[in-house]
Amino acid sequence: MDKTITIKVADLIGSPLCISVEDGQKVFHKIEVLFKEGRNVMISFDRVSMLISLFLNVAIGQLYGSFSEDDIRAKLKVEGLSGDDMELLKRVVDNAKRYYANPKQYDAAWMDAENEDE
Amino acid sequence: MKLNVDTIRSDCNGFSSIANLAEDASKLWLADAELDFTECVFFEANMVAPLYVVIAKLRDELNDVTIHNVPAAIERILKRNEFLTVFNMEVLRDINQTTLPFKIFKPHAGEQFNDYLDTYMRGRGIPSMSVALTKRFRQSLFELFLNAAIHSESTSGIFVCGQFFPHKHRLDFTIADAGLGIRENVRRYTGQEKMSSCAAIEWALSEGNTTKTGNQPGGLGLKLIKDFIRMNQGKLQIVSRFGY
Repeated sequence: MDKTITIKVADLIGSPLCISVEDGQKVFHKIEVLFKEGRNVMISFDRVSMLISLFLNVAIGQLYGSFSEDDIRAKLKVEGLSGDDMELLKRVVDNAKRYYANPKQYDAAWMDAENEDE
Repeated sequence: MKLNVDTIRSDCNGFSSIANLAEDASKLWLADAELDFTECVFFEANMVAPLYVVIAKLRDELNDVTIHNVPAAIERILKRNEFLTVFNMEVLRDINQTTLPFKIFKPHAGEQFNDYLDTYMRGRGIPSMSVALTKRFRQSLFELFLNAAIHSESTSGIFVCGQFFPHKHRLDFTIADAGLGIRENVRRYTGQEKMSSCAAIEWALSEGNTTKTGNQPGGLGLKLIKDFIRMNQGKLQIVSRFGY
């Protein structure tokens, strides 16, 4: 049970472009299933030529709504990302943690914003 | 009805002129709409993307849209960037390869948008851009394109056009949609019925804010672009309803 399963993102979504919510959801579901089975997961971004935050929000950020930070840190690894993309992933993760800690925080802050009629 | 097209540059005045045109066009239904360029002294090529929003809305209302009195120099620009194919006019070869032509994409056409960037940015990129910067730049364009595709609810598609200015080391690129606008989206999401267009744009640019529903985090795309553009001393203009 402790064998790490590698998900090759480009193979799974059938494209080197990680740009859509639907594809992100597909990756998220696979990770979710494997986590629930107690498996360790390696996400491979080899052959991925385009990666954007929208995809990562759904594929990885969303995990923070279902699993604890400790669980994710222990079970999930990524490979094949450039330095820039690792930075992007870090921002996605930080944003997801803030979101699930208090999803309505930003909205509430804006409720007091000064408004103008148009 | 004659609709006057003024001089249009990539600035606040240019967008205001297009907004005025949209206002004049908004009540037409089953009519003849003649876009008249007599008063147009200059037209920046990338601005055909927002101009097409007006044309798409007119055509949605079953108006017959035609184009008139385009000065020769402007006609060459609009033929080179393929905009005039919208009116069944021929394309002029882009000898200098400085154009990212006008295209209409369906909202789910992310892969085609990638092919478009592959085709038209290769070999025409700003010379000083490193591989890493080119990648970040393309990522930013993608974030913008998909932002429009997901949030606008545009049924007419997403309209894009760009122009390189090699001597200025500058690329102007515009992405437009004929959707419901940022203000409407944010008002619906936050329940603030009086939020202004400018406040709604500010809301959308704040990290973590998104109108995307479904218990998923979001709201990073526009913030990333804002940071990227600031870091590289570029300029990002966001125009929606009354907001600029």
